[in-house]
Amino acid sequence: MMLTLVAPLALLLRDSLNRFDPTELMLEAVTPENYLRFFADVFYWNVLVTTIRVSVIVTAICLLFGLPMAWRLARTASHWKSALVVLMVLPLFVGSTTRTAGWMILFAHGGMLDMLTGLNLMYAEPAVIAGIIAINLPYTVLTLQSVFEGIDPRLEEAAASMGAAPSRAFWRVVFPLALPGISIAAVLCFILCMNAFATPVLLGGPRFQMMAPLLFWAFNSDNNWPFAAAIAFILMATTLLLTGIANHMIPRRYRA
Amino acid sequence: MREFTLSRRGVLGGAALLAAPAILRQARAAEQCVVGTWGGDYARLLRENIDDPILKPGGINVVQDVGDEAPRVSKLYAQKKLPRGTMDIACMNATTGYRVTEAGLVETLDEKQVPNLKHVQTNLRMPAVVPHIYSAQVLVYNPDTVKQPPQTMSDLLDPKWKGKVGVVSPAGQWILQAASLLESGTTTDFDKAKAFVLKLNANGLRLYPETDNLAPAFKSGEIEVGMIWLARSFMWRNGGFPVAGTFPREGSMLYVSGMVVPKNAPDKEAAYKYMNALLEPSAQRGFAAHMGYLPTVDNAPLSGAVGEQLGFPDPKPKLVTPDYPVLAKVQPELDEWWLKNIQHG
Repeated sequence: MMLTLVAPLALLLRDSLNRFDPTELMLEAVTPENYLRFFADVFYWNVLVTTIRVSVIVTAICLLFGLPMAWRLARTASHWKSALVVLMVLPLFVGSTTRTAGWMILFAHGGMLDMLTGLNLMYAEPAVIAGIIAINLPYTVLTLQSVFEGIDPRLEEAAASMGAAPSRAFWRVVFPLALPGISIAAVLCFILCMNAFATPVLLGGPRFQMMAPLLFWAFNSDNNWPFAAAIAFILMATTLLLTGIANHMIPRRYRA
Repeated sequence: MREFTLSRRGVLGGAALLAAPAILRQARAAEQCVVGTWGGDYARLLRENIDDPILKPGGINVVQDVGDEAPRVSKLYAQKKLPRGTMDIACMNATTGYRVTEAGLVETLDEKQVPNLKHVQTNLRMPAVVPHIYSAQVLVYNPDTVKQPPQTMSDLLDPKWKGKVGVVSPAGQWILQAASLLESGTTTDFDKAKAFVLKLNANGLRLYPETDNLAPAFKSGEIEVGMIWLARSFMWRNGGFPVAGTFPREGSMLYVSGMVVPKNAPDKEAAYKYMNALLEPSAQRGFAAHMGYLPTVDNAPLSGAVGEQLGFPDPKPKLVTPDYPVLAKVQPELDEWWLKNIQHG
C-alpha cells in the first residue's frame, strides 16, 4: 500500500522540480520555478480560488439536501427502503462523463431548459455546480445514511419523552453524535469536487477553469510534465490543508 | 535384427523438425507491427484501409496501441534510453513530429526504405515524418442563414456576427497562425495575430471544448460562422449538419497528421512496410472518402462525389504549411497566452 501510494507521489514530486523544455520535454534539475510560476501569476491563483469556491458551494448544497434525505432514509420503516437505497445508488452506475452528457443536452442552447425557461446555463459556473452535485449527492447521502443508522433511535425517544420537539431532539442529540460522520461526508464530497474533471470541462467550457482541467491542459497541450506535476501537488496540498482546517474547526469531542 | 542407428545428419534434421513450430512462431512474431494511434474512426480506418487489405496479406500482423497523442509522445521520451521500445510506428501531428525529430527520437526516412515517399507532395515532405493525411483550415458558415459567406478571416469581426462566431479552443494556436497570415502574410507574426484575436474575442467569440461541439452549435443556431478543418465540415455536412466551408482569401493553414518510426522500434522493417502501405493510393482514398482528409500523395486523385466535395476551387486557394521550427518552439507560450487571454479573457 505504502509502496504503491508513496512511490508514485515521490516520483511526481521529483518531476515537479525538473525544468521543461519544448524539445527535450523534461530536463533534470532541482528548481522551484514550476511552483513559483503558479504562485506568481494571478491567473493560476484565480483558478485555485474558483476550484475552492465551487467545492465549498457543492459541499454545502450536498449537505443541505443530503442530511434530510439520509435522515429520512435511515429512519424509514417502509418496505420500500431497499428500493430507495437502490434508487440513490443507481446514478452511480452511469459514468460521470455519460451523466454530464445528459446535463449538456438539458443545458445546451436550444436544449430543454432553454426551450422551457429561456435560461442558457451551458458553459457557466452554475451548470458545473449542478453537474457536480448530481455526482456527489449520492456519495454524501449514502455516507450520512450509515452515520444515522448507527445512532440509536431510542436516544430520540428519550429526548421526546423529556419534552423535546423532534427538531430540538435532532439538533441537540442526533446532530452532535452524527457530527464526526457528517464531517467525513463533507470531506469526501469536498475532495471529489476539488478533483472534478469531466464536469468542468464539458459543462464549464473553455472559459471556465478548475484545477484538474488545468493540470490536464499543462500535460496535454505541451507535455509539460514538471508544471503539471507541480499543479498536482498544489491541488493535493490545498485539499489536505483545507480538510485539516475544517476538521480543526469541529470541537475536539465531536471529531472523527 | 537390424540395428537402429542415428546419424549425425539425422539428429540435426530431427531437431530442426522438432524446433520448426517454434522457429515459425518466432518468424511470425518478427512480422508484427505495433502502431501507436488515436482510437475511434481513425483506428478503424487504419484497420480497414491499411492493416487488413495491405499488411495482413503480406504476413504482417498489426497491433494497435490506442491512446491520445500526449501520452504516446510521453512514452516515446520515456523509452528513449531503452534499446527496444514498444512501438514500431507512432502517429502524431506534424509539429510534434518535428519536435521528436529534433529530440533525436525517430528515424530519418528515405525512398529506399519507403518507396512511396517519392509520391508525397513536395510541400508536405519532412525528414522523419511520413505525412499520412492533411486538411486545410477553412471559414465555415451555416448556409441556411448566411447568404453572403465570409471571404476572409477579418469578416469574422463584422458586428452582424457578434456572438455568432465559434471556434474550438484546443485549436488556439491554429487560429493564431491564421490570424498571422491575415495580418502579415506570414504564419509567425504572433504579435499582430494576438492583437487580431483579441478583437475577435471582444466580438463575442464562442469557444468550444471539443471539435465535435461545433456542429451542434451550428444546428442550434448558437453560431453562424467559424473556422475549422475542411475535413470536419465534410463530415458534418454528410452527417446532416448545416455547415459549408470556404477558403479564406489570405490563405489556408494546413494541418498534417503523420507517422514516425522510433529509433528503438522493435521491428523497423515492418514499420517501413507499414509506412509504404499508408501512402498507397487505395489507403489514401479510403481516408478521404470517410473522414474528408486529403491524400498526401500525388498519385491518388479523388473522383466522384468525394472529389467534388473535397476538390479545390479554381483558382486553387493559397495553402500554407506551418513554420514547424518556429511553431515547435513557441507553442507552449502560445498555448498559455490563449488560455489566459482568450479563454479567460
